[in-house]
Amino acid sequence: MLSFTLDGGHAHDVATILDQQGVAVRAGHHCAHPLMDRLGVAATSRASIGLYNDRADIDQLVEGITAVKRILKL
Amino acid sequence: MTEASEDLRDLYQEIVLDHGKRPRNLRKPADANRIGHGYNAMCGDKIDVYLTIGGDGRITDAAFQGQGCAISTASASIMTETLKGRTEAEAKSLYESVHALCTEEGAVLPDALDDDTADRLMVLAGVRQYPMRVKCATLAWHTMQAAIDGQANEVST
Repeated sequence: MLSFTLDGGHAHDVATILDQQGVAVRAGHHCAHPLMDRLGVAATSRASIGLYNDRADIDQLVEGITAVKRILKL
Repeated sequence: MTEASEDLRDLYQEIVLDHGKRPRNLRKPADANRIGHGYNAMCGDKIDVYLTIGGDGRITDAAFQGQGCAISTASASIMTETLKGRTEAEAKSLYESVHALCTEEGAVLPDALDDDTADRLMVLAGVRQYPMRVKCATLAWHTMQAAIDGQANEVST
């Protein structure tokens, strides 16, 4: 599991755009409000991999993040 | 460009990105006499809306503070620009219009609105295709309505 933030891009905007690129991530507090407060972040995006994921899925995530940066002009 | 990306262009139009990155009226006016608190626990968006309403029922100043995604921030920013100079009744009617705009296919804004305001509000209609994001666009407006009604409790969408 990898939780991440993008400078200037809110987790929910990131998740919506990734979704459109065929990549499902979870965005928000992840039921961990105290941790978010401690980290000082409003929300994070979280990508998880399972047995069914392969290298191509990871590449798709990377491409998706590039699309997020393009669309949000980050 | 794929069809999906075309749709996203509707959601993240230049004006949304601009207001999202450089929100207008992001401050707490000292003379605000109506305050609303909005919170979306699911996503963590938080907003306080400040209105200054004169004796004649007209909004002389509108501002907000808080944090949220590009859509909720842009919606709040555009809302504060739109409210100034309007009466409480007009503000409430705008709330209804914006809510319909964000949720109903084919919803239109009242003819009485000037073109500039209508154009700015129309960009919020982009969330219609994204049910998960409707609440991002309407949180500020719900909070504004609560502020006018003098509702002290936190509003959640």
